[in-house]
Amino acid sequence: MDLHSTVRRMSVVILTLLALILAACGSSQPPAGGDQGAQPTAPTSPPVAQPQPTAPPMAGAEQQPTGTAAPSDPQQGGTLVVAHTSDPGSLNPAITTAFNVHFVTDQIFNGLVGLDDQLNPVPELAASWEVSEDGKVYTFNLQPNVTWHDGQPFTSADVKFSFEEALLKFHSRTKAGLEPVLEAIETPDANTVVFRFKQPYGPLLQRLDVVEAPIIPKHIYEGKDIQQDPAHLTPIGTGPFRFVEYVKGDHVTLERNPNYFREGLPYLDRVIFRIIPDANTAALALEQGEVDFLFSVQGSDIERLRQDADLTLVPGFGGSGGSLCQITLIPNLTKEPFNTLEARQAFYHALDREFILERVYFGQGSVSTGPISRQMSWAYTPEVQAYPYDPTLANELLDQVGYQRGSDGNRFTIRFTHASSFARLGEVMRDQLKEVGINLELESMDFNAAVDKVFIQKDFDLGVASYCNGPDPEIGVRRVYVSSNIGPIPFSNGASYRNDQVDQLFDQAATTIDRDQRAEIYRQIQKIIVDDVPYFWIVDSEGFRAYRSNFEGFRVSVGPFLETAFRRADR
Amino acid sequence: MIGAQPHLGFYVARRLLQAVPLVLGVLVITFVLIHVAPGDPITILAGDGGDAAYYEEMRARFGLDRPLPEQLVRYIAEVARGNFGYSFRYQQPVYNVVFAHVPATLLLMGTALLLSTSLGLLLGTLAALRSRSPLDHSITAGTSAIDAIPVFWLGQLLMLAFAVKLGVFPIQGMRSVRYDYTGIRGVLDILHHLALPALTLALAQLALIARLTRTSLRQVLAEDFIRTARAKGLAERMVLWRHALRNALLPIVTVIGGHIGVLLTGAALTETIFAWPGLGRLLLDSVLSRDYPLIMAIFILVSAMVVLANLLTDLIYTLLDPRVRYD
Repeated sequence: MDLHSTVRRMSVVILTLLALILAACGSSQPPAGGDQGAQPTAPTSPPVAQPQPTAPPMAGAEQQPTGTAAPSDPQQGGTLVVAHTSDPGSLNPAITTAFNVHFVTDQIFNGLVGLDDQLNPVPELAASWEVSEDGKVYTFNLQPNVTWHDGQPFTSADVKFSFEEALLKFHSRTKAGLEPVLEAIETPDANTVVFRFKQPYGPLLQRLDVVEAPIIPKHIYEGKDIQQDPAHLTPIGTGPFRFVEYVKGDHVTLERNPNYFREGLPYLDRVIFRIIPDANTAALALEQGEVDFLFSVQGSDIERLRQDADLTLVPGFGGSGGSLCQITLIPNLTKEPFNTLEARQAFYHALDREFILERVYFGQGSVSTGPISRQMSWAYTPEVQAYPYDPTLANELLDQVGYQRGSDGNRFTIRFTHASSFARLGEVMRDQLKEVGINLELESMDFNAAVDKVFIQKDFDLGVASYCNGPDPEIGVRRVYVSSNIGPIPFSNGASYRNDQVDQLFDQAATTIDRDQRAEIYRQIQKIIVDDVPYFWIVDSEGFRAYRSNFEGFRVSVGPFLETAFRRADR
Repeated sequence: MIGAQPHLGFYVARRLLQAVPLVLGVLVITFVLIHVAPGDPITILAGDGGDAAYYEEMRARFGLDRPLPEQLVRYIAEVARGNFGYSFRYQQPVYNVVFAHVPATLLLMGTALLLSTSLGLLLGTLAALRSRSPLDHSITAGTSAIDAIPVFWLGQLLMLAFAVKLGVFPIQGMRSVRYDYTGIRGVLDILHHLALPALTLALAQLALIARLTRTSLRQVLAEDFIRTARAKGLAERMVLWRHALRNALLPIVTVIGGHIGVLLTGAALTETIFAWPGLGRLLLDSVLSRDYPLIMAIFILVSAMVVLANLLTDLIYTLLDPRVRYD
């Protein structure tokens, strides 16, 4: 074969290849743009979130999603592949609040107390408990015959060790919440743990689940550097699944714990967390059956996945990364214009939040009314000052306080400092605010830079965060509004809001034991705060979990979401 | 030839020694840049919802509260002792984390380089031999078009075409997780997963190599010695292989050698799209989470790789052109 014929032959091959590629490109749909920002391990804002007002309560396991057949009886067996957005790195949940760690470890470990699908406390490692009259002493009776995955017995000493050596030192939320009020943890016998408080403490039971307070084995960690010990890479828990292997950047494999203290659970034989950082790729992998479960569907994919008969979509409002999250704008109250109440009211009236919910968040959630998400039904109240979309009123208010329009039609300029995942929100707001003469300048940064600028440097006019309420207002609401939490702290009181009455009421709520009485105090707090509008609550968010329809039984709003999951017999 | 150069060993040693200040420079600049850039690793180190004292304590624990020059000096001293520190995010020695990700990246970059070089040389040669023909124009237009597509989009297009529509390749990952393949099946499984990311990364480099080959080869083909070779009655194939291409390769090798850094950038995006567990994605992750020790270690490793690649390039010269001697 001479050179010329080789050339000719090769060119045919190559041109065919090129044509093939071009044709394939032309016929396939364009990749979803989405506003999926780079948000590596956002601890406060999990990739997803939650709640919906009008929808029925999301009942994870029990809920029958639309479009599927009646549930079948759970059966043992099967392998489930879960898409995970970010490499966990290490697997000790007691020293971190990070979603990327807890998403995996919440299946391996347990809390003293669990949460039901409405986030109410239920027995877990503690079979029962009593609270003293004065609300200062909690006595927990542990489940008998619980063993660690290595066969060692689980005892009260493990609980004490977990709190004193790990949780109260390195789990930021538990440390901040319990350390100042806790007097001692006592272990009168191997099956009893007593928490003694300096003052009555109401919210304890809601902060003992595997997300907030996972129990780790004393016999593994005692005497070691708990932050850096290699035992992080081969976790030993008491939970429904035990650790098999972790290949960095690639996957984590777990297997069924045959000795799990809850008889018959879990159902799945094997669970594999596959690390897929790109949301588009993860959605495609789900559609193609390479993975079976996706914790967070990005807005632009919802419709497409919903059309797929092999997939089930269920809304969830909580989980390993935080529960009941609210997309919240953070005005800097220490400077103009947000130091005036009327300017804040005007600003809030100028935002069409229904539009934002539909266009920016693809209808995932509901328009917020105040500082507590409506999913926290026991504490939430809708009876607060409303700020409906009303540009005319906004213009009037701004005229009244003397922010006149300049020759260019602008009254003033505000810089909106935000993580790139909020870019779309910024663009929509800029258009809406133009109508009332507010010029919004967009400052888009990566997640960490934005956190630094708003919370640490406090160099901003308007910021934004997804603040998560958590299972109790004491965990995730208080920190945003009390004046003692103004400081260089991520996800703290970023607006620098001060109201003595609010401070006192939060303290009062924490030391009240009766839940109805606590709820009454929180309703009062909501009214005062919404009158002050120190923040602009946009959306009580909700996120879709999607899974292959041959599986079912996921608890989509709590940390241990796989405990009751199973493969359907009929598919 | 290498064997014919007795002093080559000294040359290599000298070049490696010269690289030390270079890598040190990269270290200092990177260190200053990442610390001066806005952002703070504190949420990774300490989580959220903590109180101020706790964040201070954690900063102190990791030495982040000290003045920057002091942190830099401490860091260099540690590195000089071979200690690259602990990753904030992985809570284990940086060394373990980085080296766990190296093989995947080498495999991806190596395959992509092989693909882009061979395909680029082929296309460039075709274009040069058929200069100004429709074939030449379509090759130039085709490679330019691919070159204009951003890597992440190109990756998604290939994924949609070959993994979703045709279903011939998997969408993501380096191995199947549902099955434990071993031996030859394990190798085939990896190759199956490798195809799309490697093709993506290769296509992103293709235009450069094809165009360079075309230009370089055309120049060489116009040289006197080619006419001489033809006049001697050498077969056209011999003329091309023995004389023209070999000489045309010099500038191409130079460019490829200097291109390793760019290749890694492309690898970061490709690895992210295809969930390939490599170094590029690790770098991107660590930058986003401000995992300073990890970022530093990767940059040092990459700059060392670039230095080595350049050295290798210079050594390849001696193979291609006996007139080049290092002694």
